[in-house]
Amino acid sequence: MARLAALAVLVALVASGCSAEAQRGFLPGYDDGQVTNQTERITSLWTGSWIAALAVGVITWGLILWCVAVYRKRKDDHTLPVQLRYHVPLEIMYVILPILMIGVLYFYTERDMSAITDVSEEPDLTVQVVGKQWSWDFNYLDDDVYSSGQHVIDVGAPGNPETLPTLYLPVDERVEIQLEARDVIHSFWVPAFLYKLDVIPGRTNVFQVVPTREGVYAGKCAEFCGEYHAGMLFNVAVVSREEYDAHMEELREAGQTGSLGTDLDRGLVRGDDAANTSEEG
Amino acid sequence: MATQVQTVPGLVTPRRSLGSAVVRWITSTDHKTIGYMYLISSFVFFCIAGVMALVIRAELFTPGIQVVQSNEQYNQLFTMHGTIMLLLFATPLFAGFANVIMPLQIGAPDVAFPRLNMLAYWFYLFGGLIAVSGFFTPQGAASFGWFAYAPLSSSTYSPGLGGDLWVFGLALGGFGTILGAVNFITTILTMRAPGMTMFRMPIFTWNILVTSILVLMAFPPLAAALLALGADRRLGAQVFNPENGGAILWQHLFWFFGHPEVYIIALPFFGIVSEIFPVFSRKPVFGYKGLVYATIAIAALSVTVWAHHMYATGAVLLPFFALMTMLIAVPTGVKFFNWIGTMWRGKLTFETPMLWSIGFLVTFLFGGLTGIILASPPLDFHVTDTYFVVAHFHYVVFGTVVFAMFAGFYFWWPKFTGRMLDETLGKVHFWMLFFGFHGTFLIQHWLGVQGMPRRYPDYMPEDDFTWMNQVSTVGSMLLAISTLPFLYNVYKTWRTAPQVAVDDPWGYGNSLEWATSCPPPRHNFTSLPRIRSERPAFDLHHPEVAAMDHVEPDSDGIFDWEADRRGQVSLAAERLATGDAEPEQSSATIVDDGRRPGPQDDIDQTDEQEDDRR
Repeated sequence: MARLAALAVLVALVASGCSAEAQRGFLPGYDDGQVTNQTERITSLWTGSWIAALAVGVITWGLILWCVAVYRKRKDDHTLPVQLRYHVPLEIMYVILPILMIGVLYFYTERDMSAITDVSEEPDLTVQVVGKQWSWDFNYLDDDVYSSGQHVIDVGAPGNPETLPTLYLPVDERVEIQLEARDVIHSFWVPAFLYKLDVIPGRTNVFQVVPTREGVYAGKCAEFCGEYHAGMLFNVAVVSREEYDAHMEELREAGQTGSLGTDLDRGLVRGDDAANTSEEG
Repeated sequence: MATQVQTVPGLVTPRRSLGSAVVRWITSTDHKTIGYMYLISSFVFFCIAGVMALVIRAELFTPGIQVVQSNEQYNQLFTMHGTIMLLLFATPLFAGFANVIMPLQIGAPDVAFPRLNMLAYWFYLFGGLIAVSGFFTPQGAASFGWFAYAPLSSSTYSPGLGGDLWVFGLALGGFGTILGAVNFITTILTMRAPGMTMFRMPIFTWNILVTSILVLMAFPPLAAALLALGADRRLGAQVFNPENGGAILWQHLFWFFGHPEVYIIALPFFGIVSEIFPVFSRKPVFGYKGLVYATIAIAALSVTVWAHHMYATGAVLLPFFALMTMLIAVPTGVKFFNWIGTMWRGKLTFETPMLWSIGFLVTFLFGGLTGIILASPPLDFHVTDTYFVVAHFHYVVFGTVVFAMFAGFYFWWPKFTGRMLDETLGKVHFWMLFFGFHGTFLIQHWLGVQGMPRRYPDYMPEDDFTWMNQVSTVGSMLLAISTLPFLYNVYKTWRTAPQVAVDDPWGYGNSLEWATSCPPPRHNFTSLPRIRSERPAFDLHHPEVAAMDHVEPDSDGIFDWEADRRGQVSLAAERLATGDAEPEQSSATIVDDGRRPGPQDDIDQTDEQEDDRR
């Protein structure tokens, strides 16, 4: 146990000696503040779990390499080693010890999981995000406006991030994201938020988040959804309330009022698809 | 050393023309021949899917689409890469090793249902060929990912024959796997040699039994799901219509197969390394019963964790599946400590099978650690469906299947072919593959954490993924090239290596396959040794150790049950020093028709080689 603790400390020291990036466990993040109300929680669970995992790893790799280095057969040694078959106390130990470690990990997992998936609070605003092959529609339900995106055709060309469909969110306000899919399964992922949730046809998924740092963050579809999956990109712009309201006004002036609701889903207008199946066999 | 050549009439088949040899193979019901056909077919599929992976890695070298013709083609490539690797390579590879080795290990003349065995192989081969033949249709092969999520896999979103061929080909191949499992279970339960009790079976055979039971749990749901998907695609059924919750229904059915599948392709390979560590440590396996119970526990837990592939769907009970998934770490950890315990205070030599097995330990350990991370939903939310997961499962699956497959090949090659593979080439092969593998996949953890989703044919230059993808691609080239020394090794030893003339060329083999000739005669044994422990071949070849081989609990304390099995150390030393401990002569030496050097020459040559090696 002492050795384990010492190793954990050592790994922690090495980690803290490195860059801020390493201290975050290489998760996306910024030095000038947390991106959402959840990122700090997730980052600390991530780094804590990694320190524990690497401590176990270093001990186990160490034991393997110890065997390789120390117990190799010497050249003129012709006796067989002790034919040990079992050692009950040792075997009991290495069943109990992992169970205890799992218990600790599970405790913190359960604590953070309930915090992240909690949607019981009243949100400040609600945005409906609709995934479709291969882009996103954003319905700002409280402001009764919408914006609609198109997929990126040449993903590898430079300059795409400036042209992506962008979801605007006001900073420091609790937003509820309602996820709907028009056709196949997608996944709404903003790497900087350290969170993703699948967008599933026939099912409404909901999560809440409070963005706490202004900035533009990349978003991607993370569930394979067909030919232009890689082009199903978007941005999330976390802005001040004033900028947010100004953007809503822009959308209203552009005539994008109301919402692009689930009545546009392909599942509901699949008459021609069904006809194709039955006629062409 | 005294050698006896015993000619057993009818054991040697006369030399045949190519045509008659082919006919003989494809009409064979011999478990070994069917096993070789499984091994060869699955290795060919491995190479095909490996080339697909190379194209995938080449495409990702820089932003933009340069190598493939279209995104659709890229999607077909990774779909078929996953499908082939999981269902047409790893799963039948288990059937191949099980077929060749398991009957030998329990002292059986063949499997319980030889003709069912043959049928299972042909189901697999033709099912696999049907699934892959989508590449020859106008719209290409299936392109909806190897887990075929509904509704993307419906005919609405993925029309074309490729998808249909995929669905029905895999269903047919799946029946082959199920029939194979029935055969293995029956064989193990009913055809063990006298004295071969369940708790004397080698760990490999135990793992085949447990794996086969898992197959019976996992593959019927897959077959049902595939046939329902086929009905949706071809007959206008609505089973996986998302309006009826079909999107999540498919995921449940698929992963109820998919997660046990991971263990179906892992457990037999755990079994292989469990056979190898004792031989090259010159010790019995440590904690035999613990290892068996750990295998059973892994299998039991593996059917309770399928929804950890679905954390991000928001549709599953996270606490239950998180806890069950984490619990799998416990029996897996037990196995690790058993393997390390087997090496502990042993006398290790590093012939290629041992090298591959240690490579497996080192690699698989890291896959296990990232598995614990992924078991925790708050962490999984961020990294699921990214390259972190890609890296994780390649560490787990490649680390297990491929490392242990090569371990098994080098270990049992003399048993398969009667010739040893070349050690130097084997070591070159190992180190190239080891560095190629880690070069390809280690960096992908960072790639995923920093935001690269899986199944993207392209990424933005602004994403800053380029240099990491380039490291990975370069690694993959080295990984691919490492196959060449292996293939040359197979060719070279086929042409030039001397015939192995002893039962156990490694010297310390434990299980019964090392108590018959290399290769074994048609029905495996001309005589069976006494089976009085879990290592009958070792008892036969090292009787001075076996003489003292019984449990002697120490009376010092209630938990001090360390069995002292020193054997007669002085006698062992004497026999080793005088060469008397050389493995016994084959129970049957196959006398050939004279095209190769005579058996006497072979024996002398091998003896010299053996002496050099020691």
